[in-house]
Amino acid sequence: MASITALRTTQDATVGMGGIAVARDPARLSSVLGSCVGVALYHARHRVGALAHVVLPESSGFTAAPGKFADTAIADMLRQLRQLGAGTTGLVAKIAGGASMFATSGPLQIGSNNVQKVTELLQAEGIRIAGRCVGGVKGRRVTLDCSNGNFLVEIAGAASRML
Amino acid sequence: MPDSMTVADPRVEVLQALFASATHDASTAMCRWTDGLITLTLDEVREIPLETVCEELNLGDELLTMVVLSLEGEVGGEMILTFDESNGRQLAASLLGRPADDSPEWSDLEKSALTETGNILGCAYMNALTRLIDSELVPSPPYFIQDFGASVLQQALMAQAMTCDQVVICRTGFHRRGEELNWRVIFVPTTAMRTAMIGALHSAP
Repeated sequence: MASITALRTTQDATVGMGGIAVARDPARLSSVLGSCVGVALYHARHRVGALAHVVLPESSGFTAAPGKFADTAIADMLRQLRQLGAGTTGLVAKIAGGASMFATSGPLQIGSNNVQKVTELLQAEGIRIAGRCVGGVKGRRVTLDCSNGNFLVEIAGAASRML
Repeated sequence: MPDSMTVADPRVEVLQALFASATHDASTAMCRWTDGLITLTLDEVREIPLETVCEELNLGDELLTMVVLSLEGEVGGEMILTFDESNGRQLAASLLGRPADDSPEWSDLEKSALTETGNILGCAYMNALTRLIDSELVPSPPYFIQDFGASVLQQALMAQAMTCDQVVICRTGFHRRGEELNWRVIFVPTTAMRTAMIGALHSAP
């Protein structure tokens, strides 16, 4: 798990559920999202980026898998980016995901809770959310390009969006 | 966090026995529905780390046609029937007794043929589960989705993800006259359902 939750690379990587990847130019980090939220952080001057595949909003003190929860994921991404020289100043966030895929309402409205929590945490850190593509009922494939910070969002049966 | 099962855990073997029986019932129902054409086998019951589940099930960024049936409530789960485009189209065509449609949009009739297939399979599994845990299960109507397979599986895994970092997956394969098809049924029980199944199997005479 550690190799995925704390992956640093210059190679392209796919980030699985609860994973975090931190990478430098020219890597591209991608993830396929449903109700999970993809949180991309990018520092243009250092040309480093991070992508977390957040599954649930709150860790409630559980820290073994930091990428799984919004609160621990964002803290861990910031820590790893700082180690690569990219402080909070100059970081920009882009987020996608948080869909409600199934027709039944069910007990879990995790998607919207994930989006809300991620938004609150980024605002609390003073990180600007430069783009978002969230909610709805369709899955998304996202790709963060660490050479320029572009965040491509592909949606099944719809036009792609570049954030 | 509750303790989780390993692949060698006897509780996984218990679930395997249950799903082998349920798959037999589902295979009988499917064989009847398709006039003897299609049968099912249980491929695996496995516990997989949450992070790698999509990779291990080879549900990457491929767009799939799926029928989803939810068992609502705490003792519940999600059943996902997946097809690639051509296999889904062929099944619908054979059920409707006409050549496969090649238009980009699925017709209502094609969708209906697939959701009915999901209904038949789902009922066979749910009947087996109901007999085992002696509890009323409330399935949703089956619904048709075309999306990334990983996105749909992710949503199905949410209930387990809230309490575990390992998830239990039951995967079924389909065969047409012995030839393996690119269709799958993935059943994702909630943690409460998993506990209820294991408890019922252990208390069985």
